Amino acid sequence: MNGWILAAAVTLGGGVGATVWGVATGPLRRRAVAQNLCTAFACPALLLLSQGYDRPSYVDLALVLALLGPVGTLVFARLLADELAEDPPSAWGLTYAAAAVGAVVVPALCVAVGPSRAMAKLLVVGVLLIGGNVVASRALSGGFPEVRRG
Amino acid sequence: MADAVIVVALLLVAVSATAAVAVRDPVRQALVLSVLGVVLAVLFTVLQAPDVALSQLAVGSALTPLLLLLAVHKVKRRGRKEGRHR
Amino acid sequence: MNGRTTLLATAELLGWWAALAVLWLVFISTVDTLELVVGAGAAGLGALAARAARRAVTGR
Repeated sequence: MNGWILAAAVTLGGGVGATVWGVATGPLRRRAVAQNLCTAFACPALLLLSQGYDRPSYVDLALVLALLGPVGTLVFARLLADELAEDPPSAWGLTYAAAAVGAVVVPALCVAVGPSRAMAKLLVVGVLLIGGNVVASRALSGGFPEVRRG
Repeated sequence: MADAVIVVALLLVAVSATAAVAVRDPVRQALVLSVLGVVLAVLFTVLQAPDVALSQLAVGSALTPLLLLLAVHKVKRRGRKEGRHR
Repeated sequence: MNGRTTLLATAELLGWWAALAVLWLVFISTVDTLELVVGAGAAGLGALAARAARRAVTGR
């Protein structure tokens, strides 16, 4: 057991646990935001696990999640556009907090991995994670009118 | 102590699966199922099965909720059309 | 204007190909000849798809 696995356990228990509770209770807009933030917390957890188990191939899991998680949120934003339009979710504080978790974990892992192609891969995953999170949050709060009309 | 993260992942799966069963409305259930998919993928990773986790991510995070929501969409639309004819 | 548009199209494809090939090099674990060949091919396909997607999105 090392610090990385402990950090992953804390991120999972605290972050993903909070999103599980948020997606199971409350109004629709809170559930949609919780589903979005689940990706934002699980992806750093997977990166930490990859470092903790010393298996660089687990970074591919975080990469796929960083790509597919926002796609799932965009699916909900598109198909639930009518129900969300009357009560748009806006949880920018939580979104930025989740982005901050990613922004703390990725540089820490980059330092641990050392300058190499693996560090470049981590940076790409971090950029995709934060970018995807912002795009999905904006789509949830109804911020892409061209898409909604089409 | 690597067991601690396994226990956390198992608890998360248990709670989200129970929530998926307890939520009745299909639309809200689709949201819970998306989270359940991600949490299952994390569980598979923690149990050292990354390829299973990869397949689970590909299917459970976007595909299953999409199928569910499209089915609900179609059923609602057909119900509305029948209501108008009646 | 066919010469100019062909030049622009080729330049754009090359740009996409270069970016995707760099991304491939970042993602793989060990660099050997087979990986480079597969990466070049995949980047080529991806460049074609990316150019088609960009043209579809910007409505051209």
